[in-house]
Amino acid sequence: MKNYKNIFRKITISITLISIGFLSGCNSNDPKKEDTPELITKATLTFTPIGGGSSVVVSATDPDGDGVQDIAVDGDINLVSDTDYTLTITLINELAAPTDPAYDISAEVAEEGAEHIFFFGWTNNVFYNPTGNGNIDNRSDGINYNDSDENGLPIGLSTNWSTSVNTASGKFRVILKHQPDLKSPTSTSSDGETDLDIEFVINIL
Amino acid sequence: MYLRKTIILVFTLSYLGASAQSICKSTFTGQVLDETNHPVIGATVLLLPHYTGQVVDVLGNFKFENICAGNYKVRVQYLGYQDEEFDLQINDKANRVILLKEDVKQLSEVVVNAHHDAAHTEYANSFTQLSEKQLDELAGKSLGESLKEVAGVSSIQTGPGIFKPVIHGVHSQRVLILNYGIRQEGQQWGAEHAPEIDPFIASNIVVIKDASAIKYGTDALGGVIVVNPPELPRKAELGGTFNTILQSNGQSGTVSGMLEGGIKNHDGWGWRVQGTGKRSGDFHTPDYSLTNTGIKELNFSTSIGYHKENAGFDIFFSHFQTELGVLKGTAISSLEDLANAMERAEPLYTSSFSYQIGEPRQEVSHNLLKINGHVLTNHGEWKIQYGFQNNNRKEFDIRMGDLAKIPAIDLKLNTHTLDAEWETLHSDKRTISLGISGMYQNNQNIFGTQRLPFIPNFVNLSGGAFAVSKLFLNQWTIDLGTRYDYRYYDVKGFDYKNTRYASSFSFNNISASAGATVTLPENQTLNLNLSSAWRPPHVAELYSVGTHQSAAAIEYGLLLNDSTNEVMNIKDVNFKTEQAVKFVATYTRSWQRFAVEVSPYMNYIFNYIYLRPEGITKNVRGVYPYYRYTQTDALFTGVDVTGTWHVSRYLKVLPKVSLLRASDVRNDDYLVFIPSNRYELAVRYDRPEVSVFKNFYVESKLKYIAKQYRAPRVITVRQILEAEEQDVDIFTTDNSNFDFMAAPSGYGLLNLAVGASLKRDRVQYDFRIAAENALNQSYREYTNRFRYYADDVGRNFIFSLKCIF
Repeated sequence: MKNYKNIFRKITISITLISIGFLSGCNSNDPKKEDTPELITKATLTFTPIGGGSSVVVSATDPDGDGVQDIAVDGDINLVSDTDYTLTITLINELAAPTDPAYDISAEVAEEGAEHIFFFGWTNNVFYNPTGNGNIDNRSDGINYNDSDENGLPIGLSTNWSTSVNTASGKFRVILKHQPDLKSPTSTSSDGETDLDIEFVINIL
Repeated sequence: MYLRKTIILVFTLSYLGASAQSICKSTFTGQVLDETNHPVIGATVLLLPHYTGQVVDVLGNFKFENICAGNYKVRVQYLGYQDEEFDLQINDKANRVILLKEDVKQLSEVVVNAHHDAAHTEYANSFTQLSEKQLDELAGKSLGESLKEVAGVSSIQTGPGIFKPVIHGVHSQRVLILNYGIRQEGQQWGAEHAPEIDPFIASNIVVIKDASAIKYGTDALGGVIVVNPPELPRKAELGGTFNTILQSNGQSGTVSGMLEGGIKNHDGWGWRVQGTGKRSGDFHTPDYSLTNTGIKELNFSTSIGYHKENAGFDIFFSHFQTELGVLKGTAISSLEDLANAMERAEPLYTSSFSYQIGEPRQEVSHNLLKINGHVLTNHGEWKIQYGFQNNNRKEFDIRMGDLAKIPAIDLKLNTHTLDAEWETLHSDKRTISLGISGMYQNNQNIFGTQRLPFIPNFVNLSGGAFAVSKLFLNQWTIDLGTRYDYRYYDVKGFDYKNTRYASSFSFNNISASAGATVTLPENQTLNLNLSSAWRPPHVAELYSVGTHQSAAAIEYGLLLNDSTNEVMNIKDVNFKTEQAVKFVATYTRSWQRFAVEVSPYMNYIFNYIYLRPEGITKNVRGVYPYYRYTQTDALFTGVDVTGTWHVSRYLKVLPKVSLLRASDVRNDDYLVFIPSNRYELAVRYDRPEVSVFKNFYVESKLKYIAKQYRAPRVITVRQILEAEEQDVDIFTTDNSNFDFMAAPSGYGLLNLAVGASLKRDRVQYDFRIAAENALNQSYREYTNRFRYYADDVGRNFIFSLKCIF
């Protein structure tokens, strides 16, 4: 009987000692601030006239990321009729410092071009070339992509557009899809995960 | 009680071969009856020291053949009856009728495995047990899936591999799991986080369906799941088991082995080592493969202990490690993606079978160290136990470039628990138990996820004290218990802007329970239990922010401001802790050939915390619905019925029904993901002996799971997107609960199984061949979170072999 009590006492003492040891060593619960490279807070579309002239710049910003505030668009896309433009898309994360590699997400998209593709859609024949309404609803509809990935498939960070001869107004939508192992000449805007989906009003003046 | 019996069985088996070699031709037959001369079906007759045990058949008969003449000790045991033991000399032929006396006290005392010398004031009244035999038949399944066999228990499922137990409609933080007597502390807040326990470590699992088990602490609003280990051997005899399970669906293989023994010349010492490995590839529905649903699991445990009549201690360590693939087609990041996924006939990314596990996936490990000791003195029994748990959860999503290689969620949770208890000695009049418990917990986000943390870092300090008592008054047993708990949180995290916040606060409250069991004439018992339990909120319910694996929704905690998303102080929010009042009545009655148990219940949860749809937000990825943790009052009512009909000596029919209704009382609405009504009918043919085979059985089980008609309104993703197109937020006018898809139709499944044992030399081999979903039905289960994306699994053939030596 004495023996068991002895064992029991020893266990109790060691448990107490172990617990004290653990408790005193575990006070570092201060979290470190993470970088957030996937967070896109601002998407900028720059339409540069190929024949020279000033660029048209519009952007969509979502300063609160996953917060309840909606994305805000800073204006309409106002293009001159019967003009050729190059559209470049820049994606940035304003939560990161501009010197941080996490700041420029379009560079990441270019690097991972084989997994990414932009789709475009518009209404009311605002463009003379490409014709139609874009490849969001139908992949085979024409888009003038200027860039391509290692497999020769388009990416869409840079595209060419010719505005309609007549004035017109409509909507212009840009979708960026992440399609790991899915991207192909026929993969569509409903395949993969959406990284970007924004819409602007477009006016051809 | 029951546990020790099975251990003895295991050990006596090992002697069988050796003794059978001499010329032994005697037989010992008999019948086991209760005080009313009814057979005690299921009672075990043990012939000691050298022979195996037998379970009596439906007429109470048993027969030992080819035994050696000599002196034996006969022990007869059955749960709920007092053990009967006598000496017997067997020459040629012996026959005995053995009468067992009912043990009313034992009936209502399960359960957490401990010494049997002291009184047991566990106060579990409404409970169901998965016995060792049932667990054998469920071998290869996860803990959550195995528990679905218990009436009233179902699961919230995330694809074919992740099962989270649901008791009477509630789950996660509201179900307490006790693993080897220690509160399981993992990241239980997520609906896709399964319990980190290897079911092979259990010798039985008890589900307590009322909130009476207040001894174990807060949170048990829905009930308690008790995973009981087998007792350690006390003598120097080596024994063990080896399991192999092969399954066709997923082409999986599971092996699990256990070895145990004592130490020579050191009576009382015992040890056990155990390990399980599992590998499964992609599961499949009747029509297509569920790509990326593979499982890799590797678990082991070891224990050593010393036990004598009056004292003992155990040291136990277990490691659980799993890697789970999450159906690739569920990887979506906006409502548009969800709409596309839901409209597809088969999920995106579907490809042919593979064992490969890619993103999205989970890597979870859980370590448990437990040290416990107890000593019996003239003043009662003293118990103390310390537990250390280390849980690591990593979730990997499909992410840009190299980011896919780093986890999007990486959490480390360390928990220390210390419990001490004093229990009076067994008495005919009353027993009392007093105890205190303490917990220190530290949750840390491991740096490097490159994503805003979904939940913050926190320290949780908890303490509690309880008093429980059991009174015996003639045919009545009265249980009374009360408990006080305190919890302190110190929280540090980053909000949606990646700005640091910190806060600390505490909660405290009282739980109480009262129950009565009465034995009535004609084999009837009635048990009534009324209990009140509370639970402090989990930090995830207060501070969550962001999207979660394959949810296509943003979640906000209770403490986030609904217009600015800023983290608020808990004092500025009208927050009240969850409190449940649960009433459970259990009535049992048995006749000559029929036994029934009916258990109606009602659980009213005040300030019930749930995710409520609140609005739509647009970010650069598209349109998202957002949910906010909100409080309401919820009512869960239902009834569980199980029956046993012994049609003939070998044939029995086992019906089982679980009905449940749940509603949001404050808003007069339904709650989402509430299990629908379930019906089951099993026909089982059991024969103790068929030629060389023992324990032969054939079972056919038909399950019917009804459609959930009590589901919230349906708003399809397309409806949300269309409304958004017209700048209408459909949740501003009506933010009652909703679901993206109507509840799937009801379905029936047929499961078939055949099994038998074979004894060769010193080894017993248990075979089992089974077919689940034998008719290869296509169906979707309402409580499977992947019902939006894919069908449930198709036909599955299982072959299992267990060797006991």
